[in-house]
Amino acid sequence: MVDRRILENFDWWLFLATLLLMAIGFVNLNSASAATGYPYQYKQLQWYIAGTFFMLLFMFIDYRTLMVYSFWIYIGTLILLCLVLVVGRTVGGSQRWISLGIFNIQPSEIAKLTMAIVLSSYFCNDEKPEYGFSDLVRPLILTLIPVALIYPQPDLGTALLLVFIFASITYLVKIRWTVIVSVLAFILAAIPLGWSILKPYQKKRVEAFLNPESDPFGAGYHLIQSKIAVGSGGILGKGYMHGTQAHLNFLPEVHTDFAFSIWAEEWGLLGATCLLMIYAVIVYRGLIIASHSRERFGAFLAFGITAMIFWQMFVNMCMVVGLMPVVGIPLPLISYGGSSVIVTLMGIGILLNIRARRYLFQQSSMGVWR
Amino acid sequence: MKNLVRPLCLIRRFNTEEQKVHSSRISFAMIAVALCLVTLFAKLWYLQVIKSGELRAMSEKNRLRVVRLPAPRGKILDRNGRLLAGVTPCFNVCIVKEEARDLESLLRKLIPILRESEAEIRIQLAKGKREPLYMPIVIKRRIDWDTLCRIEASSYRLPGVYIETVPDRTYPYGAIAPHLIGYLGQVSEKELRNNSFPGTRPGDMVGKYGVEAVFNRELSGRNGLRRIEVDATGGPVRILDERPPVPGNDIYLTIDLDLQRAVQQALDDKVGAVVVMNPNNGAILAMASSPFFDPGLFIKGISEKQWKRLQDRTKKPLFNRAIQGQYAPGSTFKIVTAAAALQEKVVTPSTTYFCNGAFRLGRRVFRCWNWRGHGRTNLYKAISQSCDVYFYHVGLELGIDEISKYAMAFGLGSRTGIRLPGEAKGFVPTREWKHQRYGENWQKGETLVVSIGQGATTVTPLQMARLISAVANGGTLYTPEYVEQILNSHGKIVSTFTPHPSGKLPVKPAYLRIIKEALVGAVNDEKGTGTRCRIKGFLVAGKTGTAQVREQKKRWRKKHVLWKYRDNAWFIAYAPADSPKIAIAVLVEHGRHGGSVAAPIARKVFETWIRLQSPRPAPVPQRSAQNFSQRRLHG
Repeated sequence: MVDRRILENFDWWLFLATLLLMAIGFVNLNSASAATGYPYQYKQLQWYIAGTFFMLLFMFIDYRTLMVYSFWIYIGTLILLCLVLVVGRTVGGSQRWISLGIFNIQPSEIAKLTMAIVLSSYFCNDEKPEYGFSDLVRPLILTLIPVALIYPQPDLGTALLLVFIFASITYLVKIRWTVIVSVLAFILAAIPLGWSILKPYQKKRVEAFLNPESDPFGAGYHLIQSKIAVGSGGILGKGYMHGTQAHLNFLPEVHTDFAFSIWAEEWGLLGATCLLMIYAVIVYRGLIIASHSRERFGAFLAFGITAMIFWQMFVNMCMVVGLMPVVGIPLPLISYGGSSVIVTLMGIGILLNIRARRYLFQQSSMGVWR
Repeated sequence: MKNLVRPLCLIRRFNTEEQKVHSSRISFAMIAVALCLVTLFAKLWYLQVIKSGELRAMSEKNRLRVVRLPAPRGKILDRNGRLLAGVTPCFNVCIVKEEARDLESLLRKLIPILRESEAEIRIQLAKGKREPLYMPIVIKRRIDWDTLCRIEASSYRLPGVYIETVPDRTYPYGAIAPHLIGYLGQVSEKELRNNSFPGTRPGDMVGKYGVEAVFNRELSGRNGLRRIEVDATGGPVRILDERPPVPGNDIYLTIDLDLQRAVQQALDDKVGAVVVMNPNNGAILAMASSPFFDPGLFIKGISEKQWKRLQDRTKKPLFNRAIQGQYAPGSTFKIVTAAAALQEKVVTPSTTYFCNGAFRLGRRVFRCWNWRGHGRTNLYKAISQSCDVYFYHVGLELGIDEISKYAMAFGLGSRTGIRLPGEAKGFVPTREWKHQRYGENWQKGETLVVSIGQGATTVTPLQMARLISAVANGGTLYTPEYVEQILNSHGKIVSTFTPHPSGKLPVKPAYLRIIKEALVGAVNDEKGTGTRCRIKGFLVAGKTGTAQVREQKKRWRKKHVLWKYRDNAWFIAYAPADSPKIAIAVLVEHGRHGGSVAAPIARKVFETWIRLQSPRPAPVPQRSAQNFSQRRLHG
């Protein structure tokens, strides 16, 4: 049966913050749905319920099992990503979904979690006192394969996110500082090259970000309207269901990528700050779990998953308030999307799992595989 | 590959040294996260506190209006490109609820201008209650110029009221082939719910009848959208984006406007139907059902009086007699009986029977229409003078089974397959039917009645046009078709007319020739029944028919019979007799006599057709010369 100690080590803070986030997500989608005219909130509720089930499932299965199967998880994800390119369903110009009849899955979302698992597993096994350049080649390849499969969907946001997860985990394992610095320098140098790889619509978005007024009704439109939405909310917001920007269809994608802007518009600085705090709690608990883990895999995995949630939230919010160009990254648990919700909740389940199994490694005598 | 992610079931714990580094890196990450969140918060503060007033003002001003750009409905034209149904701009009054802050006071101001009852406007408003607030709701359609000016003049005190310009259906020739072209009507609540017409809004017009309904998809095109940013007063600031409308496809009918007009003039105020067909391919050149109606009425709105007239119980103007009316074929059916008799070798052209004006079967007497009798009668004479007694003899010899078999082979008793809804099948009685229906055996007397086209047999004018076409062209039944070609808005041909042969008459061409000769005689002989269709220098072949609606004891005192009990008049014909180019079926309800009432109508149509064939080229707007010559080939 479930060990008593698992419940003793249950991270209530993380769990409650997650539940609160889902509640906010539902309330917010209720308004966004009224604006778009399609009842997304109830579908999202189904995803929440399914996701919670997965969260509990992943909590009770020993997370070290993931390491055992990490190779197969990786291969499975790659197969799904290839499938998407071949038989994927196209929505709004991007081929991101595999249709399974009653619902669609988005393998690029799964890839986020897969990357965290696979990289943690890799670094756990590849134990070295210090990592240099040459030690990063193989994990980089591991990362770039799914990136290469996701990028042409086209889904720049998720592709970038995988790189972010990679960077976060490599930061945690002991790489030399010199490597970090030189990689950063390399990236800065490579920006002109990267510019030429970008697709025209992506270039437009970056240009629009740098100067939104240059094309206020084309690429800069989202950015301007989103800023107006957030700003017009003021300190206390316009009131629930009264966000004119969203309800008058100025804001596109109000139920997915721009979900935060309707929240900020209707609940103001107060609501936005509360949301930030909840995310802060989740990220903080995630980092604490990573920090307290006495074991490499758990620590890396906890850090990777926390990074996954943090980067999504950060990039999405930055995009909404105009700190970053528009990239399609959902706000975890707030944006509408079944795959995203379930993958995020799975990740949180794993975090809870790592936390709960902390006791296994507290005494040196118990440090054996059971 | 497997090496890269080699699963090792080993626990790699941190040693104390590593644990320290690990913790410090995570602490460092926490600081970074905190910095990121502070940045975000700072930006939020900047937007929501410092810039709040400015951005809120922008959001107040920010109003999006979605304007629908209705696609012009495709045109319907005749075979020569003359416009039968087109579009003209019309003006609708719309309300955007989101911008009309005080709807009640707005309505109070608006109602006197529109001169419309408040209830009516509220009904229109209620129809749009499911639409988003920013969507304009049409509250009155087709306002006149005067009302338009008055609304525009006071638009500043009518916030949220807009004039929408939409293309509107017009029928420039009025009541021309209304039953074929059909009409439009407002999409109903039920159709909206079932999404029968995707992309329609309440109040939109959709095809309800005829070509307008059958080809609604092709004709509708796709509506466009334009998103306009408007300021607080509703004035447009700029166009955000636009999806241009795709106009509907144009449909060229095989109908010839001149011929159609001639047909309708010839029918005049008689109740009946005419179908004119190209016997060589089944293309319908004219199709009319009288009385007519103006399809434009359904667009402008119908007054009660007009509606009553349309609902007339006896004349039924909305009923398409050409395809829905089922009538006994009368003597025109003798063509079928004659063909069956020849093919089944019951008679030869030289077989004669003696007609003394009546035929006795058992205790019953069956009369010939000519009470004086026709004397010795062979097939030629029997057809051309329409002798009933001859066909009583022949029918008796053939038997009902053969007659009904041939009737069905001639396309009776089943739909012709014309692409119009509601086509009637007609009826061919059989021995089995009698048994099933009445539980009685078939009587010989009934065979006699059927063999001259009376009794339970019913046919539609379209079926008869197809039948006479098949006789004319040597035995091929074509599916009647009325679409010449469909062009999209760029003038590209989407689909074009191809004849669809649907069957072959089971009669040897030699026998058909014998019948055709007799049909020529019926029109051109001194004693023929169809002499009223004789045209000098133009050989018409035809058959009259007078179908009883109810048995009349004394035929010569018909004048006093009530209109609705009078006989139906038939005339089916084709011309020129040697190489048929045009076939016609005329039915006049209660017209009394085919030869005197229906035949002259056919003559007028033939005369018009001859005039149209003269070398003078008809004006051809909007068509290329090449298209035109192609059309002439099979026209």
